[in-house]
Amino acid sequence: MNCTECVERLYPFLDRELNSAEQVQVREHLSLCRDCLNRFRFEGNVLRFVGQVARTTGCPDDARQRILRACGRDS
Amino acid sequence: MDATDAAAHERQERLESEALTHLDALYRTALRLSRNPQDAEDLVQETYLNAFRSLDRFEEGTNLRAWLFRILNNAFISQYRRRKRRPSSSLEDVTEYYLYDHLAEGGASPRPENPERDVLALLGDETVLQALEELPVEFRQVELLADVEGFSYREIADILGIPIGTVMSRLYRARRRLQKALWQEAQEAGYGASAGA
Repeated sequence: MNCTECVERLYPFLDRELNSAEQVQVREHLSLCRDCLNRFRFEGNVLRFVGQVARTTGCPDDARQRILRACGRDS
Repeated sequence: MDATDAAAHERQERLESEALTHLDALYRTALRLSRNPQDAEDLVQETYLNAFRSLDRFEEGTNLRAWLFRILNNAFISQYRRRKRRPSSSLEDVTEYYLYDHLAEGGASPRPENPERDVLALLGDETVLQALEELPVEFRQVELLADVEGFSYREIADILGIPIGTVMSRLYRARRRLQKALWQEAQEAGYGASAGA
């Protein structure tokens, strides 16, 4: 696997959507190529950061109470 | 109440309780989609009312969480179309925008270890949330489902009723746009001045 083929699999790899044979190929390439490894780490950290920030939002208590009441689940 | 009714009642109660454990996740998704707390609350309420009414058709053992998100996304699209809003911004592409390359070319990086930390550290939560909300609706849906809620490509395809290939291409484009927006924000927050010199 060369760098172009590896980077084409960047997101499917980070999203755990590659089959196991392809995963092994990507991992092999990353173990030999610091440029690709840095890029994969970078992308993975950015995606994780965005997810973490967005997951800090929850439903406010007053809205939750109104939703539960509307669904008949306020007891 | 005979035994069959009692079993059906017990099942309904159990699935409703399980469904309600996803309230925070549904709300934050509804909020980023609608960009309005009152609309988000209405969407979540509508989602649960629809779900609870049709729980007898829900096949137990399949993915309750994905099923709820499908109802939510359908409710959102109906609301969105009712209001005849135009898309939030055009779908014109920034397909090849990789923040990583930008940092490397700009000479700000790459320091081999974690160049993204310097960039991300400059961005407050509100900035990130705003960048998410400014994605076009079609991109925002896949971005939220994948990177915030952790659904697989297959689950997202089922939730939105689109092919997996479309999920992948929208997700790719959503992430490119998001990186471009974050980079612009980081520059405005002084990234180039402190780290690029």
